[in-house]
Amino acid sequence: MKNAARIIPCYSADTSGVCSALYELGGLTVVHDASGCNSTYSTHDEPRWYDMRSNIFISALTEMDAIMGNDEKLIADTVSAAKDRKPAFIALCGSPMPMMTGVDFDAVAAEVEARSGIRTFGLHTNGTRSYIEGASEALAAVVREYAEPCGKVRGRVNVLGLTPLDLPLGADKHIREWLASHGFECGCTLAMGDSLESIKKLPSAEVNLLVSEAGRGAAEYLKKEYGIPCICGVPFGNGFADELAERLRSAANGSKPVALSTAEAGQAEVIVIGEGISAMSLAEALRRDLGLNAGAINTQPSEGAASGDVLSCEEDIEAALLELRPKAVVADPLYRYILPAGTRLIEVPHFAFSGRCFQRAMVNLINTDIKEYFK
Amino acid sequence: MIKLAIYGKGGIGKSTVSCNVSAAMAKKGLRVMQIGCDPKADSTSLLRGGERIPTVLQVTREKGNALALEDVIYDGAFGVKCVEAGGPVPGLGCAGRGIINALETLEKKGAFELCKPDVVIYDVLGDVVCGGFSMPMRKGYADKVFVVTSGEKMSVYAAANICMAIDNFKGRGYASLGGIILNRRGVEDERSAAETLAADFGSSVIADIDRCEEIPAAEKAGKTVAELFAGSRADEQLSCTAQAILDAFGGAL
Ligand SMILES: Nc1ncnc2c1ncn2[C@@H]1O[C@H](COP(=O)(O)OP(=O)(O)OP(=O)(O)O)[C@@H](O)[C@H]1O
Ligand SMILES: [Mg+2]
Repeated sequence: MKNAARIIPCYSADTSGVCSALYELGGLTVVHDASGCNSTYSTHDEPRWYDMRSNIFISALTEMDAIMGNDEKLIADTVSAAKDRKPAFIALCGSPMPMMTGVDFDAVAAEVEARSGIRTFGLHTNGTRSYIEGASEALAAVVREYAEPCGKVRGRVNVLGLTPLDLPLGADKHIREWLASHGFECGCTLAMGDSLESIKKLPSAEVNLLVSEAGRGAAEYLKKEYGIPCICGVPFGNGFADELAERLRSAANGSKPVALSTAEAGQAEVIVIGEGISAMSLAEALRRDLGLNAGAINTQPSEGAASGDVLSCEEDIEAALLELRPKAVVADPLYRYILPAGTRLIEVPHFAFSGRCFQRAMVNLINTDIKEYFK
Repeated sequence: MIKLAIYGKGGIGKSTVSCNVSAAMAKKGLRVMQIGCDPKADSTSLLRGGERIPTVLQVTREKGNALALEDVIYDGAFGVKCVEAGGPVPGLGCAGRGIINALETLEKKGAFELCKPDVVIYDVLGDVVCGGFSMPMRKGYADKVFVVTSGEKMSVYAAANICMAIDNFKGRGYASLGGIILNRRGVEDERSAAETLAADFGSSVIADIDRCEEIPAAEKAGKTVAELFAGSRADEQLSCTAQAILDAFGGAL
């Protein structure tokens, strides 16, 4: 039963990660999947659906098309939708059924591109991996397609890995303000509140701020191709936000930023559970602003993730909490059901986990006084 | 690194040709890796003294992501690196998906970086019945496909189907047809049947192997012809086949 979630829900899947990452970029995202229903990817997992337009289509793959290997339908429908909507690019991604029949998304993408004249790329989702992996692959793909060599701009910082699956709506705005208050110029906020135009100029930044593992692929590409250093963290609270700004500054100046003195989860009285970088950052913020001995549990396995131990299944998280016996846990409200007796839960809703259930209770903890919230 | 796939009708001699060609190439000093893409998992047995090796899927099932390359890559005759993708027992599961999964695992684990082969040979199950069996033709896998056939009608028919699939995939940047390998069964007009097939697809017969006694005898001993019957006519023909394949890559090595 390992990896089966019996009590808590499972996190959004890679396909949702792709849809979320590309939502605002003006492309056409096609999920090759049964039925024409968008709901799983774009409403349950997407707070922007009712307020902001985005071209997301589900291919309505049928049993017969799957059996007969009828890729032509996907290709023709995509090309026709593209003629209609004139997207900037097309992203094709898969779900469990195409995974089983082995649809070659790179090959299909090449055919779509040849027929539509629009840049098209295949993403290798299969609906069984974490949203982080889908989002990371998607963001890396657009960066690879669009980033252009350009001159450096002094003090410019890109923010990578922004999606509403991990950070509340408005996080882009709060991070921009925080950067400005520390004298930085905010470059691209990949990918909330920004456009393809600014993706082109990503290489002009001196340093990248990785706010979730969803930006890992893009950060690695920008490091390899353009030598841009990368600092991980979300500027939660005040003390940690200030320290993060300092780390950005030293990275921008070409010096090696001092390593964070992170706490071992083993001795923590408060445990933050969530996406790796968010959870680590919030734990650090709690240490600095409230003097709490806080640690983090990263629930999202992803390649190259640097932050903390990954505990991705319910059983392991439950066992770890029983062993650590923290006084309090900071996590999505639905974690309530697997906490040890006597452990307090401080609710911080996580969209990738509980979707729209607690959308109204989402709070901004970025660059603000968090003492009240965690009192 | 050159990468090729051997296709052809069931039982026509794909694994025999693959193993002996691998051996001949390795004997020339090339680093060769042979990957069996057949749930029977018997592709490399001639290189391993007739013995079976644990398959990628079997080890994946046991160890999951903890699979190590040493668990699935084995040294065979002349140092050929042997791998078997494996697959479900007959009548169950999905063999095609198995091939995809196994090849992705090898790629992900860095099998090519570890072995640094000059030549990779995919020996693929007879009929390209579903997407999984065209996996070795995909971009990033084999660059050329060689089809083994005899002059028998059913064999030529199966070979033509494979050539047609390759043709269909042209727009996708998949492998191209490298040539036809004639493995004789001793029927009438064998050479011309193979030549007609090749001409139909704008290709040529690049090798001609006689039906012989050395091949079954070597098989019985679980050995390649190069080990048991070095210098024989069969050995010569198989070694010419290896050279013809290398030539089809235009001296890429
Ligand atoms: N030129 C030949 N002369 C004599 N016997 C041969 C020759 N080529 C192949 N054989 C024999 O034919 C049999 C089938 O060969 P092999 O197993 O290589 O076929 P295959 O195409 O790999 O089959 P499968 O589709 O089942 O994987 C073997 O017993 C082999 O020894
Ligand atoms: Mg065989």
